[in-house]
Amino acid sequence: MTTFFDAWHFDGQSAVRRKVEIQTIGSQFFLLEQERRHGPFHFDELRFLEAKGDSKVYGLSGKDGWRLGIRGHVPTELAPLLPASKTYGGLIDRLGLGKASFVFAGISAAVVAVVLLSPQWLAPLIPSSVEAKLGNALVGDFGGRFCDTPKGKAALAKLTRSLDDHPEDLQVEVANIDMLNAVALPGGKVLLFQGLLSQAKSPDEVAGVLAHEIGHVRERHVMQGLLRQMGLAVVLGGFDGSGGSTLNSLLSTTYTRDSEREADDHSLKALKQANISPVGAADFFNRLASMDGSRDLKDRQARTMASYTSSHPLSDERRKLFENAVVKGSAYKPALTADEWQELKTMCAQDKDVKSGWGFDIE
Amino acid sequence: MTGHEGKAPSAVTFHGSWTDFAKIALPNVLLTLVTLGIYRFWATTRERQYLWSQTRFIDEPLEWTGRGIELFIGFVMVFFLLGLPLVVMQLVINGLVFQGKPIIAGVIIFAMFLAIFYLTGLAYFRALRYRLSRTYWRGIRGGSDDQGFGYGWSYIWKNVVAAIPLYLLYPWASMSLWNERWSKMSFGPYQFESNADWKALMKRYLLFYLVPFLIFVGAVALGISAASAGGGGDPFNTAGGVAAIVAIFIGILGLYIIMPIAALLYYSKFMRVAIGSLRLGDLEFDFTARSPDWILFWLANLAILMLAYGFAFAPFSLLIATDPTQFVQQLEAGESILSVGLVIGILIAIIPLAFATSIIRYRSWKFFVVHTEAFGEVNLDRMTQSTTDSSSHGEGLLDAFDVGAI
Repeated sequence: MTTFFDAWHFDGQSAVRRKVEIQTIGSQFFLLEQERRHGPFHFDELRFLEAKGDSKVYGLSGKDGWRLGIRGHVPTELAPLLPASKTYGGLIDRLGLGKASFVFAGISAAVVAVVLLSPQWLAPLIPSSVEAKLGNALVGDFGGRFCDTPKGKAALAKLTRSLDDHPEDLQVEVANIDMLNAVALPGGKVLLFQGLLSQAKSPDEVAGVLAHEIGHVRERHVMQGLLRQMGLAVVLGGFDGSGGSTLNSLLSTTYTRDSEREADDHSLKALKQANISPVGAADFFNRLASMDGSRDLKDRQARTMASYTSSHPLSDERRKLFENAVVKGSAYKPALTADEWQELKTMCAQDKDVKSGWGFDIE
Repeated sequence: MTGHEGKAPSAVTFHGSWTDFAKIALPNVLLTLVTLGIYRFWATTRERQYLWSQTRFIDEPLEWTGRGIELFIGFVMVFFLLGLPLVVMQLVINGLVFQGKPIIAGVIIFAMFLAIFYLTGLAYFRALRYRLSRTYWRGIRGGSDDQGFGYGWSYIWKNVVAAIPLYLLYPWASMSLWNERWSKMSFGPYQFESNADWKALMKRYLLFYLVPFLIFVGAVALGISAASAGGGGDPFNTAGGVAAIVAIFIGILGLYIIMPIAALLYYSKFMRVAIGSLRLGDLEFDFTARSPDWILFWLANLAILMLAYGFAFAPFSLLIATDPTQFVQQLEAGESILSVGLVIGILIAIIPLAFATSIIRYRSWKFFVVHTEAFGEVNLDRMTQSTTDSSSHGEGLLDAFDVGAI
């Protein structure tokens, strides 16, 4: 039994500060005031709250606002009965700040690695029906902007067939929007924008781009990209401000660029198999290169930075890739006949029902 | 028992030092970084524990009893119950627009806008309630019996009414919301009372409101005089050219200096009127910061942030400036190594920025405490424990919306 003077107490009932003695009886204790006795309380219900200057403050489980403050040196008989002090709490106090930081950094690096790498094997596990539903939810019929004439569709189907062994899982459409672009969407959907067809000088150019987008579908890049973006958003969501999103875009851009290279490789293989000349695609990238200015960049540093920050490899680089794939002396055949090409190119103009532009009244 | 001694300079005092605070803030930054930001809820808690414990009301310090896990659970719940549905709705809206159903998409967007508006109001209320319920003084805490659901609606309609006459009623809306919010809060057995008068704010508000017009008119007048005085020749040598440059200068000055200062003039008045009308039992409060105090406070914060940005981006510029060709070669040789370098660079850049925002939080709290005064008497025997519901706090979804509570 110990009596002990230099302690103060708030009972959590009123704001009156009480000077008390602690009277311990086994695992219990009383707080003795001049003419009052508080308790009994159990030592194992005490919680360490904070260390302030030379005093330690404790609370009591289940008693709102109950406080016991002990000033100065705690007697050796009392010390083992009191809960241990905490600085950070839990794990960090046990390991120490340095060691805990290393452990956390290791775990964080592992989590980021999993989020970056796992989509490669997770994406193929997603059933194609789910992907197809997602694709439909995203674009549907594009608000009636898909062009459709029997002959134009037949030409498009022929082109797709020549570039892919399983054209039945693909849904290739021409969207009546004047934009020099093409996209691959979940569920094997590939959209060629009318702007691309109007600008193309030959069906071989379109074949190169289409094979590239089919490459994204076959390599499951679309779902991979979606999963990776979502994963990074979750993992880096703890950061507030722009730090997290900057990291997110930097990490995912690296992967986007790799995907583009893979899709280019796929495109080259498909063109080779179909015996279509890669010159068309090279011409196309040549024109893109003069648009994005990458051909005129003399300064190597600026050029590399431009390549680094863009998600696509530089068009000029891609032009070289496709030019180098040309086998001299091979008997390439055109991707489509002149008639078929004409039908495909003018499909949107011939289709009377199709809507155009971005809708509303932007047209 | 009398709490307030007549001679005491202030009933609310701050005893912290920024060097002591830095000993908390720096490990916080480190731990936040290595946990990819997850530690920040515990970091906030440790910061507040320090700031509260260094704040004395009369003779006893405040105590912060909130826990990191409460904020973390709240964040996770908001993420799953609000963040993810919002992302999904975004996709649905995209789909609807592409499928040619813009009207349905518009209705959904409007509904989402209303919901977010409502939740913002609710969040302000909940954050204040959470903070009061975790603030103890002499073992007594604050809180509110109100859940704040009604306040969410007030927040919508008062802001809409304020907007109708071209936002001229904004002072009314913000003051009436302040009164409504604080009147539902309590500390111990006492209910806060607040009936601040918004009309006192109107002069400052009109000044702030008219500043853009005045700047515009000034710039146009100078521009016209420039055109008439100049009339050809070297624009930099004629009086007209000079006037034009002055006009541009005034425009920029207006945008970046005069506008924020006009806003601070208004805010300074708002805080003085709002806190000056607050009562708790026999206690009355006052807020003594005048406009120059606010302007100095704001400028110093700005300087701290600038300094932090300097530190954050110095490594990048050094990396490129010292040896650009080697940088490019490395970049071409092994992109993955450079990616890792850039990622680490950004992570390191977070350190000074996070530390600076901590210091700004410290300065904000200190500014607030130093300029708060309290008058009247506290009867300690009658200051009994709050009966407000505290068990639901912390677990509650929106306690975690912890946006600026005051």
